[in-house]
Amino acid sequence: MATYDPLFNILGLRNWCDSGSAGSAPASMADLLVSTGVDKETSILDLPFPSLDALNEACGAFWQSRDVTTGVEGGFLAMKDALRVVLDPLTQPLSWILDGALYLFQSTPWFIMVPFLAVVVYFASKSVKLVGFVVVCLISLAFVDLYDHAMQTLAIIFVCAFLCVLFGVPIGIAMSRSNRLQRIIIPILDMLQTLPPFVYLIPLIFLFSVTEPKLYGIAIILYAIVPVIRLTDLGIRLVDKDVIEAADSFGMTDQQKLFGVQIPLALPNIMAGVNQTIMMSLAMVVIASLVSAPGLGVLVLRGIRNLELGVGLVSGLAIVLLAIILDRVTKAALARVNAAQKQ
Amino acid sequence: MSDKVQVSIRNLYKIFGTNPEEALRYVLGGMSKADLLKQHGHVLGLKDINVDIKEGEITVIMGLSGSGKSTLIRHLNRLIEPTSGEVFVDGDNVLDYGEDKLRELRRQVMSMVFQKFALLPHRTVAENAGTTLGVRGVAKTDYLKEADKWLDRVGLRGFGNHYPHQLSGGMQQRVGIARALTSNSPIMLMDEAFSALDPLIRTDMQDLLLELQKELHKTIVFITHDLDEALKLADHLVILKDGFVVQQGEPQHILLHPNDPYIEDFVSDINRARVLRVRSIMAPLTKGLVPTDTHGEINIDDTLESMIAKSGGDTSYTYLVTRDGNPVGTLDMSSLVLALVPRVASEEGARQY
Repeated sequence: MATYDPLFNILGLRNWCDSGSAGSAPASMADLLVSTGVDKETSILDLPFPSLDALNEACGAFWQSRDVTTGVEGGFLAMKDALRVVLDPLTQPLSWILDGALYLFQSTPWFIMVPFLAVVVYFASKSVKLVGFVVVCLISLAFVDLYDHAMQTLAIIFVCAFLCVLFGVPIGIAMSRSNRLQRIIIPILDMLQTLPPFVYLIPLIFLFSVTEPKLYGIAIILYAIVPVIRLTDLGIRLVDKDVIEAADSFGMTDQQKLFGVQIPLALPNIMAGVNQTIMMSLAMVVIASLVSAPGLGVLVLRGIRNLELGVGLVSGLAIVLLAIILDRVTKAALARVNAAQKQ
Repeated sequence: MSDKVQVSIRNLYKIFGTNPEEALRYVLGGMSKADLLKQHGHVLGLKDINVDIKEGEITVIMGLSGSGKSTLIRHLNRLIEPTSGEVFVDGDNVLDYGEDKLRELRRQVMSMVFQKFALLPHRTVAENAGTTLGVRGVAKTDYLKEADKWLDRVGLRGFGNHYPHQLSGGMQQRVGIARALTSNSPIMLMDEAFSALDPLIRTDMQDLLLELQKELHKTIVFITHDLDEALKLADHLVILKDGFVVQQGEPQHILLHPNDPYIEDFVSDINRARVLRVRSIMAPLTKGLVPTDTHGEINIDDTLESMIAKSGGDTSYTYLVTRDGNPVGTLDMSSLVLALVPRVASEEGARQY
């Protein structure tokens, strides 16, 4: 006899329960004990939580917990084909862009790539010191033969961070203009941000082929787009009300106000969001090596799988170097924006 | 200076709250501001405002904080929508304007100067000053030229390529004024434009404004909480209290004939000798006869302060008052001294009302 039997008896649901599948054959140890007539001392302290499994024991018409997981799985698998028809062509360009970027970064010889990156860093930061630091870092990465892996990682980050900004900034702007939209999107962002990164990969593996780059591309973008959306929304909402009023009083149109006042004044916040987005892309690109993303993450994974301590640690440190480079360069760019518009 | 009324505010009401229309019915039924807030949770911002703003004059709207003066000025270019009432600009009711016409009004007819300057921090001083032309679609090279002209005029020659954060508060507000002037609009709205500046710079800016006004003859609506500033600038003074007009008229007249204890309170604290002018207290010539026993000639627009200095403090003197060289009246120094005493002191108990 299960703990919750009396409950169903009192409610008069006994017949409904017994019409279910359970009851004919004893399924659990407890049932067996009951059926063999061994009396067991029960105390109130043993009262189980009325979970699905506990209720199922008393009443066979109830689901078991594993029905929930199989239900979710079944539901997802049923939707899968329909989702694929829509999502596959939509996300196909992402695969092409990632393939293209990976090819470009790897096929460009190092003696062109390193000076090119140095020039990019100079224009972003206007700091010779930082350029020197970046060049030294890249050279030392290349020196221990991690250049190719580092370039793969960089290529993926560039593409994903760029797409995050491309989609994230307009979403943030739309959010800042409508409180309703903000109320809808914020819970989604919260979910994306708190969902463990590994969990993203699970449905994606079922949706897309593991050999396609867009699988990890989508995972990285979903994970990294959150800060740029949040900070764009925040930045535009924080623009000084007096300046907005002044813009109105001069008869600016909404468009003039957005591009002439709101975005420029929100730029420090937006840039902070871009910095965060790049750092989160880097974090995710390492995890995404589980689903065939190339780059330094692959080496880390090899270190874990094969217990190759040295490979794992060196590539881990290489990731740290990349992170420092990306962080310093974007922060330097941010500082320039900030300096230009001190209040 | 003409007598043409350029902006006219008629029966303007503004009520803040969730259901202003309903609250308006209570107000029209005679409910007071305090009762409205207590019983219905609505704030009466403006109550039955009627003001005529004449072309080419400086109209000063004065009141303490919370009196509704900033709310009132924002109704002129509809940064705030009224609950009921009319605002006519050059004969057109602004409240009937659609979005496009309203934008044209803000671009061409009214420009505004703000208490906190509200400059764009990412643009240079010249670009800021040219913003008002830029929004109309004027090419950058053209509006920078115009902006430079007005920056010179407000005393900021050579600062065009600086950024606002590199300038002091007073200089930033000069940019704000240059920005409003660059738009070349006939009406200028100044919302506590000098309140954030320190006293010496404030005096400078007041002088600058008066000097510009002598030349440009704009229609200026100036908001302030400072009576000295109001009296210095105003051609027409409107005093607001708790959202309604307590008294309006010529500032000298209000000073000498306050019609409300609230205003008497206000005016009793100011330096009357500096504000009052001979024309307000002189006696007109009797039957056009020019007295011969006067101690000298004085101008009708002299301040009483300068008269005291001129007479050396002797109250027995009498002066002949002239306007443009023609005698128009006489000034008895003893009447001058009497005029310096606020009425509230002579009429004890005026505050009981």
